Amino acid sequence: MKVNKNNKLLLVLLLLVSGFTFAQQTISGLVTDEAGVPLPGATVVVNQTNNGTTTDFDGNFSISASDGQSISISFVGYQTLSIVVGDGADYNVSLQPDSLLDEVVVTALGLSREKKSLGYSVSEISGDNINTVKDHNIASSLTGKIAGVNITQSGSIGSGSRITIRGNNSIGGNTQALIVVDGVPINADGIDSGGSVYNSQVTGGGITDINPNDVESISVLKGPNAAALYGSRAGNGVILITTKKGSKSDRLGVTLNTNVTFDDPMFLPEYQNQYGQGSLGAAGTDLVNDWYTGSWGQRLDGSSQLYFNGQQRSYSGQPDNVSDFFRTAMRAITSVSLDKGSESGSVRFSYTNNSTESILPNSDLESHNFNLRGTAQLSDKLSIDSKATYFTQNVNNRASLGGEGVLAYVYTMPRNVDVNDLMDYQMANPSTPAEFGVISYDKRGSTTGNPYWMLMHDRNDERRGRFLGFTKINYEFNDWLSAFVRLGSDITDIKRGSIEKPGHHFYPDGRMSKSQSTSTELNSEFLITAKKDITDKLDLVFNAGGNLSKRTSEGLGISGRNFKIPTRFFISNLNEINPPSERPQAIKKVNSLYGALNLSYDDFLYLDVTARNDWSSTLGEENRSYLYNSASLSALLNRFIDPSQEVFNLIKLRASWAQVGNDTSPYQLYQTFSVPGQGYLGLTTLGSPSVKLNPDLLPETVTSTEFGLELSALENRLTFDISIYDMSTIDLIFNVPVPPATGFSFFKENVGKVQNKGVEINLGGTPIKTSNFSWNTSVFFAKNENTLVELIDDLESITYNTTNSGNASIRATVGGGLGDIYGTVWDTDDSGNNIVNANGLPIASSSLEILGNANPDWLGGWSNSFSFGDLSFSFLIDARIGGQIYSQTSAGLDSSGVSERSLLYRDSGVTLNGTNTETNSANTVPITSQQYWGSYSSIAENYIYDQDNIRLREFALGYRLPGLDEIGLQSATLQLIGRNLFFFSKSAEDIDPEAMLGTALGAQGFTSNALPTLRSVGFNVTLNF
Amino acid sequence: MKKVNLILSGFFVLFLISCTDDFNEINEQPNALSADDVSAKFFVTNLQTGLFAPNRYPYWRGPVIHVDRYAGHTAFGFSANWWSDGLGYDYSAGYTGAVYGYMSGYNSQLTAFSNFVKPGGTLENEQYYAISLIMKGLYYQMYSDTFGMVPFSESSNPDITNPKYDSHKEIYSGIISGLDEAISIIGSNSTTGTGPEVLTDNDLFFNGDLQKWKGLANSLKLRIALRANGAPGEDFSAKAASEALSSGVLGDTDALIKRDLEISTWSSAVYGDIWHAFYGGGHWNLAATMVDILRDNNDPRLYKYAVPSKGGTVTIKKPTEGENVALIDKHIAFLKDHFDESGAEYTMTETAEDVTITMPDNANYVGFPTRTNARPKPYLHTDFFSKPADVIVNPKNSGKPIFPWIVMSAGDTHLMAAEAIVKGLASGDAESHYKTGIRHAMKLWEVDDAEIDAYLSTDMGTLSGSTEKQLEKIATQRWLANYTNGYEGWAIVRDSGYPSELYEGVSDRDIYALGTTLNGAYPQRMRYGGGAYNSNGDNLEAALSVQGPDVQGTKLWWAK
Repeated sequence: MKVNKNNKLLLVLLLLVSGFTFAQQTISGLVTDEAGVPLPGATVVVNQTNNGTTTDFDGNFSISASDGQSISISFVGYQTLSIVVGDGADYNVSLQPDSLLDEVVVTALGLSREKKSLGYSVSEISGDNINTVKDHNIASSLTGKIAGVNITQSGSIGSGSRITIRGNNSIGGNTQALIVVDGVPINADGIDSGGSVYNSQVTGGGITDINPNDVESISVLKGPNAAALYGSRAGNGVILITTKKGSKSDRLGVTLNTNVTFDDPMFLPEYQNQYGQGSLGAAGTDLVNDWYTGSWGQRLDGSSQLYFNGQQRSYSGQPDNVSDFFRTAMRAITSVSLDKGSESGSVRFSYTNNSTESILPNSDLESHNFNLRGTAQLSDKLSIDSKATYFTQNVNNRASLGGEGVLAYVYTMPRNVDVNDLMDYQMANPSTPAEFGVISYDKRGSTTGNPYWMLMHDRNDERRGRFLGFTKINYEFNDWLSAFVRLGSDITDIKRGSIEKPGHHFYPDGRMSKSQSTSTELNSEFLITAKKDITDKLDLVFNAGGNLSKRTSEGLGISGRNFKIPTRFFISNLNEINPPSERPQAIKKVNSLYGALNLSYDDFLYLDVTARNDWSSTLGEENRSYLYNSASLSALLNRFIDPSQEVFNLIKLRASWAQVGNDTSPYQLYQTFSVPGQGYLGLTTLGSPSVKLNPDLLPETVTSTEFGLELSALENRLTFDISIYDMSTIDLIFNVPVPPATGFSFFKENVGKVQNKGVEINLGGTPIKTSNFSWNTSVFFAKNENTLVELIDDLESITYNTTNSGNASIRATVGGGLGDIYGTVWDTDDSGNNIVNANGLPIASSSLEILGNANPDWLGGWSNSFSFGDLSFSFLIDARIGGQIYSQTSAGLDSSGVSERSLLYRDSGVTLNGTNTETNSANTVPITSQQYWGSYSSIAENYIYDQDNIRLREFALGYRLPGLDEIGLQSATLQLIGRNLFFFSKSAEDIDPEAMLGTALGAQGFTSNALPTLRSVGFNVTLNF
Repeated sequence: MKKVNLILSGFFVLFLISCTDDFNEINEQPNALSADDVSAKFFVTNLQTGLFAPNRYPYWRGPVIHVDRYAGHTAFGFSANWWSDGLGYDYSAGYTGAVYGYMSGYNSQLTAFSNFVKPGGTLENEQYYAISLIMKGLYYQMYSDTFGMVPFSESSNPDITNPKYDSHKEIYSGIISGLDEAISIIGSNSTTGTGPEVLTDNDLFFNGDLQKWKGLANSLKLRIALRANGAPGEDFSAKAASEALSSGVLGDTDALIKRDLEISTWSSAVYGDIWHAFYGGGHWNLAATMVDILRDNNDPRLYKYAVPSKGGTVTIKKPTEGENVALIDKHIAFLKDHFDESGAEYTMTETAEDVTITMPDNANYVGFPTRTNARPKPYLHTDFFSKPADVIVNPKNSGKPIFPWIVMSAGDTHLMAAEAIVKGLASGDAESHYKTGIRHAMKLWEVDDAEIDAYLSTDMGTLSGSTEKQLEKIATQRWLANYTNGYEGWAIVRDSGYPSELYEGVSDRDIYALGTTLNGAYPQRMRYGGGAYNSNGDNLEAALSVQGPDVQGTKLWWAK
């Protein structure tokens, strides 16, 4: 949106002249695009007045204006056009699309920059891109759209996602991207990222609390090069979210949007329906002792059997018992926004209601988001921009994943159990503890969970309230110097509670817990910007600023067990209350000063240099101050190679180098002792810490180099962008495991080196563009290679997570990567034959072997949008190739004999090929299929799947309806939308390879009883008044 | 303009004054104590419970799953039991790793304490240092008896991140030197100091009585000496045993961990925490070896250690499909033989389709056969077998007593004295020690004097017969006296080879779990946990080349 300087001058002169004439008149015109297609909804404003309107459905507008006044006509994605009102003026205009050359993107600290001038890679997507096929978690809508961004999720409602950009940079600290909203970093503390192999619960927080409807655009700063100005928080890249402001039109704009989708499991594991509950090929006979949880019984023969609930039932297959457990879940996100403005200010209010059901019964989420944004031009030099957002969310019964999660009892349900029979999960009018006991499919008083009990009877809730707001005051000293101060705050309050009622399968006495935590982040910053054209050709922009960041977190929790009166559930009704756990307020402060110098020479050569010094309260006096620099260069070579733009509109080479840091959490320096909540026999006791702390801790240092080439050709119809980068982190802050013989379990040290190398390629274009049909397409490919280059002498690996039985673990290994998957294999003898024990069963290796890595080799995405008159159609296909995952889900399906796979050897049993360790000769001992699968399922290598999958991630089919003047409707859009419709290909059986156990690093490459991936189909309606 | 300039300059000032003045202060944890706030006595309790009464995770995987069963004290594998056949005999990296993690990890607690109180330490105090040496001895005996070679001479030194592994012999003689040092430091002292330094109730063993600590040191020294006696290259046991006895062992005092009846299972666990947690799927019975020896000798401890079989009627449907079709007759015969050998009162009626077993309520003491596998499991109903006495498995917060953890008992000490005398390592009246040992062991379980006297008049209560027979009796009595402490019970079996039916292992795979690599042999040790390979692998490999492969069957230095 560059207006020629001379034109500007002319405009001002004309305006001055026009001040003497006041012939008010109604003018009308037609606004079209460059191909002549009418543009409905374009903004028409009489400059310097409060007078404005928008074009109707056919692109027509009419507005009152006086001769000599000028009107501005603007539309997103097109260059703004100004017309001076007067005789002979033509108000039928065709707008030209924004040239790529002039594209402006939001960069670090919220600074808008011309994209062509950047020496590093930034990707931006518009709000529409995440608002059509909408999810309450914005991260889900980013998947597959931006090269270099890897998003995994854990599936339960209201859960967060893991967002990493260009790989994992740290072995112990945070590796996820920083989220910045309107220039203010938001707090990501207090988020439970799950990963427990027993019960993994991932809470929301961070990006999940941002309302998608309020998003104007999202800019992704990939790594330190782009994010250097964020200093010690820049190491993992930044996701910059810019929210909507009110328009400057004096017309009241009202937008109503409803997005309703219906979710169903995209797929379920393949089940066998031939054999029922039992063991060793026989059904149980005794209600109390003989009912087994496994489906290793006899053939389902329809005979009458006494079932777990004391009823006679036909011993026959229930092919749909698992799918019947899930419901079709509706999610509805409805929002209304009002905005109005003038040249001197604007206001926008929005309210969004999100009501999302889980496919699990009695599990849902409800949230409300209130957002008020105001801008005002207080004087010709002083302006203010302020926003307040309040978000409140209630999650009811978020499901746990993992070995003891609710789905552990659904997926492996015996094949003959009617799921409806499980709804009677407790005796009527129980009185004794035994009568209170849960009735599950093996018996009453079971240690096997009943999924209905867990969801309908127990309680698990989370309520969060979050305030996000900022005020920015900007002052223009003169035409080259301006400054702003900005105060941003983010306050999150979380209340969580859980109740396991008496009779619960693991907690027969019942137990409950409640906790409350508060985390805040306050940022106070200033920035001074000076713009000077030093010579005709050399322009300079200098920014200098500082930031005071204060982050706090605190909490209090209370829990207990054994209810006095087992029918009501509150703390004072507990017999045993544990001492409350207190987390006094922990404060982390980081002070920063920074500066950035941008030089541009003759509009073809651009140089950026930045420096930032941080002072972190988490480090010792000697080490708390650290300075980081970055430099980047970009050159537009098209002027020399193709000056007349015959083929190329843009040829840009860029290079950058950056260094940033990463500090640590509070209290990592000096040894202390804590008083346990419960001293033994009431005595005051003290324990000693297992981590040897380190007063000389240094910040981690991330150094990154990036090169890129951008091409735009054929009148910008074809674009190409490639980036290659090499990023390494040293001085990793880590609790190094040491032999306990040293007197500690861990030494906190700066150790090792992690490297990420990769390439990102974007190819985009508009293959077809006629007056009434256009097709836009873009495809990206992003490959990242992660290596743990070195750690510390004599330490080969770090283990992040291990299964209960110890047969698989997630590690970082020297020479390997972060997220290496290790597991047992079928052991072999010296000559390489598989070995079996005296019983004929496979022997698992005693050591864990490398079986894969949790990170994909590459990610790809292909977005397409078609428009044909009022119809539009878009779809997104994305690919995740390479990388592995250990599926504990599949192992559980096999060991319990419910999977289709487990039919193998059912009737015959098998004598495994291999060497029998007892006889040291070929094995001759036969085993049953139950034994076979029992052993097979315990060997990790059998359940390592490739993550390879290609899926139709999103589609939207839209129709733009004519406006209805009678009710003031300007425009209406109706879209049919869908997500996760089908896989073009998928390697893994049973599971979705993107559904990880949690969002923690150690939960990657590991899935255990995750919720089925949801296939969502629904509609999106937008009404503009 | 002025206003704005004011705002901006205000901001700069804010920056300058805020600086970093409060950075040190906010980085001090408000809910933690520094070394200045604390006294050594507060650490003693956790030093004791951390080793002998850890939280439920290692408690379950250590005593319940592994060592009590290896010791032949308990057994499980009944029809409604959770566990797969052979649990503990089959190798499980996770369960083994949990025990290794807890035991190797204890060293950080011990080292932190000894570094505080050692000469030059923050809380320097010679008497507490003596206590740390005795705890170190108790720890390394239990730790090395479970796994074998471990780092000892280079451990507890934060400057050595990769300590070498020491041979079992070196560890044992090292423990004895440490105990000698402690004994000499204590001398005739009885308290740890004055004022805040006085140790009283924080010492769960002896309420701060240093002379009793000295007795414990001598008892431990005797235990070490006896275990080492006869091992290859061993040259210190005779001296150590006689020194210990003359310096004064625990004559009539037991070193026990009294139970906290309310503490959370995640701070310190008891058997009842596991017993009552999960509806009985993780229950266990008394092992047949234990019940048989008690019952066959009319031992009054039978009624203290166990409750009778609950009894009832169960109909076993004979399998019509699967591998058990061929084995059902063998399994029924096995059960019948076992009931008969146990002298149980029961009826068994068999038809073509099923077998009905009826056992009268609370009438029999029948032990559960050790090491059974999944094949006979459907027919082994837990109510046909004796379970642990209530005092062992009582839940917390029930107002009911819970049996303490036995660290070192007077009973075992006297039995050890008898053993030392019979083995010719010391002089004295072996018979008298034997009888006193049994008396103390029974007193600990509140057996009446009359019943004790009656028992002492039987053959089993008399130290008679050949030397080997006498050693068998002593070993058996020590094994009985350490019931509920499977770590020690298991070590006694490995050292002595008694009770021999246990030590012989199993062979019939139709009934018994032979184990992943044991092939039926008696387990001699537990494998090292994965952490040992990861963080100090080279030294571990060097140790394996001395000790033998890292499998359960590899015998330790002192094993029979």
